[in-house]
Amino acid sequence: MSSNDPLELIDQYLDRVRVYLPLDSEDAIVELQTHLIEEAERIGGGTMTAGSAMMAIERMGDPKSVAHEYAGSGEKVGPVPAEYVTPVSRMAIVLVAVVAALITGASLIGLTFPDLFGIQNWPFNIPVMVLINVSILVVIIGGISLLDRTKPMTEKTTLESVLGLGVEGFKPKGKMDAVGDVIMGVIFMFVLMHPAVLATLSVEFRAVVLYIVVFLLLGAIRGLLFFVGGENNFNLTVEGILSVVWIAIAMVLINIGWPVQYVYTNDGGVWALFDLVTFFETNNIPFISFDWIWAFIMFVTVAIAVWRVVVSTMKVTMYLRAGKGIWWQGNWGERRRLRGSLWRRYRSSRRVSQDETTYHDGYYEPDDSQ
Amino acid sequence: MSMSKKTQEELDRWSKEVKRGAVTLAILALLSKRRAYGYEAVKLLDEKMSFLALEQGTVYPLLRRLEKRELLASEWDYEDPQKPKKYYAVTKEGLMALGAMTKSWSDLSREMRDVIMEVE
Repeated sequence: MSSNDPLELIDQYLDRVRVYLPLDSEDAIVELQTHLIEEAERIGGGTMTAGSAMMAIERMGDPKSVAHEYAGSGEKVGPVPAEYVTPVSRMAIVLVAVVAALITGASLIGLTFPDLFGIQNWPFNIPVMVLINVSILVVIIGGISLLDRTKPMTEKTTLESVLGLGVEGFKPKGKMDAVGDVIMGVIFMFVLMHPAVLATLSVEFRAVVLYIVVFLLLGAIRGLLFFVGGENNFNLTVEGILSVVWIAIAMVLINIGWPVQYVYTNDGGVWALFDLVTFFETNNIPFISFDWIWAFIMFVTVAIAVWRVVVSTMKVTMYLRAGKGIWWQGNWGERRRLRGSLWRRYRSSRRVSQDETTYHDGYYEPDDSQ
Repeated sequence: MSMSKKTQEELDRWSKEVKRGAVTLAILALLSKRRAYGYEAVKLLDEKMSFLALEQGTVYPLLRRLEKRELLASEWDYEDPQKPKKYYAVTKEGLMALGAMTKSWSDLSREMRDVIMEVE
């Protein structure tokens, strides 16, 4: 639904433009944002209103054309029009990465279904099924988007909402997520190293626990790197390498099985270790369910690791092509939003009103001394 | 005397070709005097180069291309967090290119003027 808040209108419009832009286009978005605000202020005689913002947006034009002009001379690929090449390829990569992640995860835990629902070679025919379903989806969405034609410029079309999922899939790691990686990595590292916890683990798991502790430490360092430098080639490479290492570790862990063999029990004020496996065996309860839980955990973590490998590889290649080198101050996943906290809005509105004296028409004659 | 449709079409086609060559020179020349951010550059060009009739859809991609070709360098100014500004300035390489382009343009205009005067 359209808002009456000019900043929100601009934000919504830029969200639409973002769908059609390549991944590394936050600079272009910010430049467009500044342009729209200043143009809206000029139209409004120094004050930005919902009406002046809408006029500025309409003057800028159709989001996909604006993005196309910004991204340079994109070319039509097969049946896909030039403006749609970026979001469609991004969406295709997301689907391929998801399928690759699921297949690797499934293969690792030995999930193969030679004949499921009468379909042969499961799960390797998933990509074909995805492709067929996506084609059907595109036709349906194309039909629906015809109904979107009357929507205002600031409102996403149905098609853009779907294509926008690709943008979400490639969002850089958020600053708070990076902090979370550091904190959780360090906590789990200390928990695993604690003698009271070590005592509960199976002998087989204890044999590899040091490797996992080292991995957790490296994971925490990766989190720290992302917190400091945001998304750049160095951090993405570290993330890719660590994800590959995790897949290798998971191949060992899956064969070890459920790692916790003992639990603590309190018997008359005395803590003692209770052997879970023996308890299950003596009572004829199959222990296999714990192994299934373990297999599921491994499946999820490996699927995430494969996803990270695909995304890191793609982004590093993209940044290298753009000549960005190895290390720079990159962005974090938190998208810049025009609407901030109340105090920021207050400060911003004060600033706008102070600037009114300078920006009578949204434009001032520059200082020659510059 | 009003122009015929054919003449108008021919003029439009010719203007487009002339503009294509002139726009790089115009941007480099304007930005060589002082740096400017995107919106400012659009307005400056609109004000001083009305013949080119440049819109933001032309100016921004061109600024990006010139930056990529290292004729322009950019710097972000976050002083106003709501309106961060990406300032573009001409590089040393850009100034050299501008000098060479200006000379070519002057030679061309002089020769063109002579040719046109002969016709007139």
